[in-house]
Amino acid sequence: MQLLKSTITAFCLILASPPLWAEPSEAQKAEWRARREAMGGEAPSEAQRAEWRARREAREAAAGVASAPAVDVPEKAKMPPAMAGHVHAMPGAAPSGQPAANAAGKMAAGAAPGKPASAGAPPEAASGRPVGMAMRGGSGPLWLADSPPSRGDAPARGGMSGMGGMGGMNMGGPRNGPPSKRLWLRAGSDPQKSGFAREDAEAPTEVVLVRPQGAPAGEVLPPGEDGKRNLSFEMPVQGFYRLYATSRKLQGDTLNVSVAKAEIANFSHGGDEEERAQGMAAQRVLESALIEIVRERAADEKMFFQLKSGDEQAYLVLQKGLPVQGARVRFVSYEGWSKEVLSDEQGRVVFRIVRDYFPAWEEFRKRFKASYLIIAEANAAEKGTYKEQPYSNVRYQATLAGSYYPSPADYRSYAWGLGIGLLIVLFGGTAVYLYRRRRVKPYREVHFDDGR
Amino acid sequence: MANETSGVIPIQPVPYARSRQAGEAQTVLDHIVDDFQDNPQAMQYFYDLFRRVYCHGEAVPHSGKLVGTTCIQAPEELIYAFGATPVRLCNGSYHYDQRGADFMPAKSCSLVKATLGMLSSETVIPKLGKPDLVVNPTTCDQKKKASAMIEGMGYAVHDLEFPNVKESEAARVYWRRSVREFASELRKLTGQRLSRAKLKAAMAMTGRAQAAFRQLHNFRRQAPSLILGKDAFLVTNAYFFDDIERWTAAVEKLNAELAERQAAGFRAVQSKAPRVVFTGSPPIFPNLKLPLLIEEAGGVVVADETCSANRMLYDMTAVDEWLLGDMVDSLADKYLKPCTCPIFTRNDDRKRRLRELVSQFNADGVVYQAFSGCQVYEMEFRSVAEEFNAAGIPILYIETDYSPDDQGQLSTRIEAFLESLKNRKKQRA
Amino acid sequence: MTAAESVLQRVRGAVNRVDFNRFRFWFQLVAFVLFVYGGYLAIDLGSKLPFFSCGYNQEGRAGVCYLLPLQHQLGRSWAMLFSVASLVILTGFLTFAAWFIVLNKGWCGFVCPLGTLQDWITLLRRSLGIRFASYTHGQFAQLTRIKYVLLALMILIPLGIGGGFLSPDSSPPFCLICPARMLLPIFTGDFSQFTIDFSSKTAIFMTALGISVTGLFLVGSFVKKRFFCFFCPMSALHYLISKAALFKLKKDGSKCTRCGDCYAVCDMEIKEIADDVTRPDIMTDDCTLCLKCVASCPEPGALKATFVGIPIFESTEEGFIKRMNKACKHGK
Repeated sequence: MQLLKSTITAFCLILASPPLWAEPSEAQKAEWRARREAMGGEAPSEAQRAEWRARREAREAAAGVASAPAVDVPEKAKMPPAMAGHVHAMPGAAPSGQPAANAAGKMAAGAAPGKPASAGAPPEAASGRPVGMAMRGGSGPLWLADSPPSRGDAPARGGMSGMGGMGGMNMGGPRNGPPSKRLWLRAGSDPQKSGFAREDAEAPTEVVLVRPQGAPAGEVLPPGEDGKRNLSFEMPVQGFYRLYATSRKLQGDTLNVSVAKAEIANFSHGGDEEERAQGMAAQRVLESALIEIVRERAADEKMFFQLKSGDEQAYLVLQKGLPVQGARVRFVSYEGWSKEVLSDEQGRVVFRIVRDYFPAWEEFRKRFKASYLIIAEANAAEKGTYKEQPYSNVRYQATLAGSYYPSPADYRSYAWGLGIGLLIVLFGGTAVYLYRRRRVKPYREVHFDDGR
Repeated sequence: MANETSGVIPIQPVPYARSRQAGEAQTVLDHIVDDFQDNPQAMQYFYDLFRRVYCHGEAVPHSGKLVGTTCIQAPEELIYAFGATPVRLCNGSYHYDQRGADFMPAKSCSLVKATLGMLSSETVIPKLGKPDLVVNPTTCDQKKKASAMIEGMGYAVHDLEFPNVKESEAARVYWRRSVREFASELRKLTGQRLSRAKLKAAMAMTGRAQAAFRQLHNFRRQAPSLILGKDAFLVTNAYFFDDIERWTAAVEKLNAELAERQAAGFRAVQSKAPRVVFTGSPPIFPNLKLPLLIEEAGGVVVADETCSANRMLYDMTAVDEWLLGDMVDSLADKYLKPCTCPIFTRNDDRKRRLRELVSQFNADGVVYQAFSGCQVYEMEFRSVAEEFNAAGIPILYIETDYSPDDQGQLSTRIEAFLESLKNRKKQRA
Repeated sequence: MTAAESVLQRVRGAVNRVDFNRFRFWFQLVAFVLFVYGGYLAIDLGSKLPFFSCGYNQEGRAGVCYLLPLQHQLGRSWAMLFSVASLVILTGFLTFAAWFIVLNKGWCGFVCPLGTLQDWITLLRRSLGIRFASYTHGQFAQLTRIKYVLLALMILIPLGIGGGFLSPDSSPPFCLICPARMLLPIFTGDFSQFTIDFSSKTAIFMTALGISVTGLFLVGSFVKKRFFCFFCPMSALHYLISKAALFKLKKDGSKCTRCGDCYAVCDMEIKEIADDVTRPDIMTDDCTLCLKCVASCPEPGALKATFVGIPIFESTEEGFIKRMNKACKHGK
């Protein structure tokens, strides 16, 4: 009993002693601060914004010469990407100014959608990154992301995303209102570094939102302020919200149809159960989508699903609800590794998510959210006219972005766990046994030998 | 004339049944049986038992080794579990009391004198045979000192160390160790090992006896009473030496008869008879002087708090895990924790028990007997009296011993007390 | 006596004579199956349960132990915690309290899966003939405070996480050291809680501490009856709000002979149950309301379990004699 008591006291002391708590690193603290601000810090002041704008313009001026392709770039492309890709800003959210400015310097190739990529290899290729599936130009595929382009090498979202906080979603909205979601339309095939998609008058983007318990064909989102694209919506109901950003562009006699899709799973533990059940079981295919990628859900998949490195994930490529065979489907991982397969007769492809998160061990974060991109392409020989121009081929491109997290096998050890447990049980058991045996022995007096 | 007075006629040895000692027992027993009406039929067993053992000096058979105990705290379940037979040595005979007075101080407790007197005689009545071991719990002073004396008389004595403070944890541990030591002593005596099955069987046996007693105890709650206190005392006194299973069967028969009596609305006493709770030094046959006086005077002893009756059989043992360690420890707890013997430093439990008995049995008053020389009971009277006076319950203190000389005086006092109880009842009604 | 009254009397008598240990064993078994496997039948009793229906048992749980959502809620950022959004913490607590007051600490003694697990380990020990351990009075007095320390830590550490002083890897702090987190999912085949999480120093420490506590729990509950219940912060939390409970343990001190039978059978070794003859509300902070004391009391009416004042289970002589004799004869 003495042993037990002292062990318990020791444990309590350990629990209470501050030095043994892991000191969060400065980087982590900074992230947490940023996330807190994102969740409800104050909006940057006008002065701050002006400063950022000035800095961005300076950088642009310096970088613009080196990275712009040597082709005629329409006036619009020269517009700061921030304005081009400006979406309906949420009050109090981090401004898109500075991150976009940083990103602009790195992905200028993606800043001019719809332009021929006659500049040769875009700077992306120079850094060893694979060439994005340019739409017959230097631009990359359009895709919907739930985070703006990252700043430098830091991941787009803080390490505390995932289950910590608000389920890994960038939620905003007034405190007592329904959560709302904001998406960004980015262009490029690098999940980390693709910048904002530029506005293109020739390729307007039609945005359709399919709500759970809403019209199956979805509704068009109204345009946002200043005529900008509106990519935010409220999520009052539990279920899957799907956003489709379709754009068409004619290039020669080929019509490029690009459908960027985002699927947001809005579930919470509280709330109406029936609504949740309905949401979970709902159809996730848009009949009217010209082409789309649907992530296949397992029958027993739970509400909060997280894809982990090492998992297998299947996707379906559908056109107007029907499977597409032979579509070229590419999976691009966070670090830029990619794999391309063809879809089978059910339009299905399966990818095994790679493990490409190899930081130094001290910086390993188990909730590190890495984005990946699925790009599917299919060609069809269809004839028609678009804006009074004829075309004889259609190239369909669908994108779907998602996230994956490090596999628990990377940081969890059964051997250690069971080992320590077994050790404690054996130690404790032996201690109890010896204590009990000792009690039974007769008391032995200490004998002093006076003879010597 | 010479041949008529040639030799002295030697005195023939008298058979026990005609001895003065037997005469004493005979007188009391006859009084119990004949001078009261409507004794329960089932009591015949007990009357016969006492007649045979105390009046005729019949031998009482036992199985296995005989272990004599001098106090109720000696765990008899353990003795049974080792295949031995326990017998309570406490004696109530005036004959032995006088014998003991030869070597005991003048102001000693009659009970201890009688017990020692008995042990030092050649004929020990009840005739059980010589105990192979005498277990003497170290309770009151006189019993403690008796240890060495009993050993001097040629008996093997085991001092069962009983704590004098019962509230402390140390006391509980000490007593548990004592009981365990006692168990190993019994093992040496009997040469048998203690096994779970045997202890369980022993506890089942005593449990059954305790259950039978409880039923009897509960029947005595009935007002007007179904059975007189003198019979109840006889029943419990028989437990000292009678075979436990026979005793239990006899009590169960008695209970059945009492149930019939209850159903038939039988009354053993007048409805106005004062109900008395008897407490203090234990009345042991043939010294049932006070209870008999009370009932002769028209009262009825409905309950008692003495170690020759209620306290011996009332408390029951609860065991959580039927493993030897827990069983023996639970037994030890049962003999210590609820014990209301006055040898403890504090007597809160005794006072509460008395109060509860008075209220449960609807008693009108309490008669507190203390043997002269019994320091502990005499001293405790003060606090008990305070408690009862504060509660407005009449209490009569009688200091007496085994000698029959003070019967007249006592009966006067008792009659007066009972009168006052009757008056109080009339006033309250 | 009317017919209804005599029927009631007979029912009461039968209840008071029940073979209590067997009744409790089956009740606990049913409750265990319900709360460890009920999720498979889509049973969901909410996340405010006042006992360890472990939330980490994702597949089978029929509800979640309140401590899990409580720690998560308390671990919110301070901006959010000290805002109106935290009204949900208050409503959550009230729901918990509503569940609690129905059975008071009887949830511990009859329903809690971890408690049941400990009782099964005790049965194992008993069948092996190994005797149990007990605390001395001094040890008891000291060790009983630990549950309050754990309760305080369980509240303070999430506050620290919310304030940014502590790493979120230490959330939820009590769940990380609770043996139920590791042992209950085993019953649905989930051994994943037996890992040490090496992703951060805090995670290593907490998961190692958790597995150590589980090891100690296994050794401790083998030798001591209901070992963990002594240190349980849920028990401390219960006791703080137990005044309002509907189900109570009452003692009539005047009937008590202080025989100590109740103390002898008490798993938690509570002395007050035997020695305190003044307080009618005899439940202490360690009590699990297993009612073994009531079942082992030979004095009629001395101990009773009451629901809204109505005695449900009382100590009676016949009940005692029947139970002890049965145990004596058939031995279990």
